[in-house]
Amino acid sequence: MERNFVMIALFAALIAALGLVPKITLASGVPITAQSLGVMLCGTVLGARRGALAVLLFLALVALGLPLLSGGRGGLGLFVSPSAGFLIGFPIAAFVAGLITEKLRAMSVFWAAALGAAIGGILVLYIPGIIGMAVTLDKSLPEASLLATPFIPGDLIKSVLAGAITGSLAKARPDSVLSRA
Amino acid sequence: MLSLTSEIRTPYHPWPAGPKLGAVCLVTASLFIIGSPWFSGAIVLACLGLYALPGLGFLRQGLGALRMLWPFLALIALWHGVSGTLEAGLAVALQLLAAVGFANLVTLTTRLEDMAAVVTRAASPLRRFGLRPERFGLALALVVRFTPVLAQRGDQIAQSWHARTSRRPGWQVLAPLALGAIDDATYVAEALRARGGIDPVEE
Amino acid sequence: MSPEIQFDNIRYGKDGREIIAPLTLQLRERRIGLVGRNGSGKSTFARLLTGLIAPDAGKVLVGGVDVFKDRKAAVGMIGVLFQNPDHQIIFPTVLEEISFGLRQQGRSQAEARETAQAILAKFGRSAWADRSVHGLSQGQRHLVCLLAVLAMAPKVIVFDEPYAGLDLPTRMHLERLLAGLGQTVIHITHEPPSLQGYDRVLWLEAGKIAQDGRPEQVLPAFEAEMMRLGGGDALADL
Repeated sequence: MERNFVMIALFAALIAALGLVPKITLASGVPITAQSLGVMLCGTVLGARRGALAVLLFLALVALGLPLLSGGRGGLGLFVSPSAGFLIGFPIAAFVAGLITEKLRAMSVFWAAALGAAIGGILVLYIPGIIGMAVTLDKSLPEASLLATPFIPGDLIKSVLAGAITGSLAKARPDSVLSRA
Repeated sequence: MLSLTSEIRTPYHPWPAGPKLGAVCLVTASLFIIGSPWFSGAIVLACLGLYALPGLGFLRQGLGALRMLWPFLALIALWHGVSGTLEAGLAVALQLLAAVGFANLVTLTTRLEDMAAVVTRAASPLRRFGLRPERFGLALALVVRFTPVLAQRGDQIAQSWHARTSRRPGWQVLAPLALGAIDDATYVAEALRARGGIDPVEE
Repeated sequence: MSPEIQFDNIRYGKDGREIIAPLTLQLRERRIGLVGRNGSGKSTFARLLTGLIAPDAGKVLVGGVDVFKDRKAAVGMIGVLFQNPDHQIIFPTVLEEISFGLRQQGRSQAEARETAQAILAKFGRSAWADRSVHGLSQGQRHLVCLLAVLAMAPKVIVFDEPYAGLDLPTRMHLERLLAGLGQTVIHITHEPPSLQGYDRVLWLEAGKIAQDGRPEQVLPAFEAEMMRLGGGDALADL
């Protein structure tokens, strides 16, 4: 019981830490912020319910005023800014990513987690994200979607990474991938 | 880790956190429902006044906290500049500045502990879903404690990477970082258990 | 008067590998050392002794308390200082860290803070109360862990490699503190010299007690065996 509780807290810390480490560089030379990858990992590693809780905990701390979002951002202002929809979508994304990883047991951990991360972290996340941008920037939904498209390639790459990392964790510490426990 | 609460004491600091958070909800909702640039502009002016009242230092902090809006403001300027609807663009920009400016004001003037107490209270209906709000404080402490530990580990892993290759650190550094977090969780869970577990002993 | 520690036919394995072979032990001495190589089962022994993991069979009693089952009584009976303070410190500030265990023992917030302040004062570290743990040195964090354990006033304290990674002055300081403790001390180490003057030393090898007795008997035998292994190809059977 203690371990699951601490896992949730430490994965919330992991999302925060991923916003503090220097940007990693992909083979193509595109630097990405790893923070949304952290959200995907919460789902694919901890599973739907615990993953969503870890992300909720992270968001609660950001809302309380800890500068944990990449670039040292934090506070209530974020939740009324055009990013708000994505923030609200984070726990849902982790939940869906976790649910898919949990359910697709017939698939290897890599593929189930990558698919879960893509569906949760892109398809599901972008719905509230785009609505949030549409409302705050006073744009129509198609217009707001257009604004979000440049981020899709990066997020697709992150989904594959989430799959790879979850897969390697499953090999190194089989009992740590709670989504498959 | 430092919270975003301002070290500059303002008259707003002692005000209770609950009503302040309520005010944020109210102001944000009315901004988006009313949607008039005059109303948004008035709130922006009011915010400026509230930021300026405690002194120049606090005003500077408040304006600095609006940094996160620059990309969006640039986007609005570009979009509406190209489409020739500058007036509509100005309305959107004012609305954003008002909402974020007011919310930031509350973040800058409310202590983390007070905020946490409100969250714990607000979360108590979640008890129905098996959540234990009283554990929030402990979870919060763990995150604050382990964020710098994990970030430092990330740097160390990146350094070990640099020591052996001239290529820049890639995604491969993330897996050991996550693994480290998992191992830490196992040990910390033991430390927690060694001192009586998550919930206090009931007498 | 030291509380009696009983291992009653304890067994523990993981992933089908036996880590602690059936083990029955009675300890009543005030200063007990446990030596063994890496992987001999020392840390598992410590975790069983403190009730952090469940034995596969048997039970561990400390002062008559089943340390795994009765956690409430166990935390007042036995405390543990882990090797790495970063695995032990839960809270961002020193005072919070020390008061946590007291709160878990059912004391009020005010009482817990007061006791924590008192123990900081006793060790001349009152200024640390609001310091961030992350800003302290390794040795200082070690001391915070020890104070957090001492504040809970357990009758037995387990030290798992307490000197690993400490510089010489910090180590000597901790050695003095440890020597002065009124509690029963169980000291786990792979360095025989730090157990001079102890009442009893256990030598653990592959989950079994290889030798058990006075330090002047066990330690020379242990050291001789380590030298013999070190002279050969030690990595071969890692």
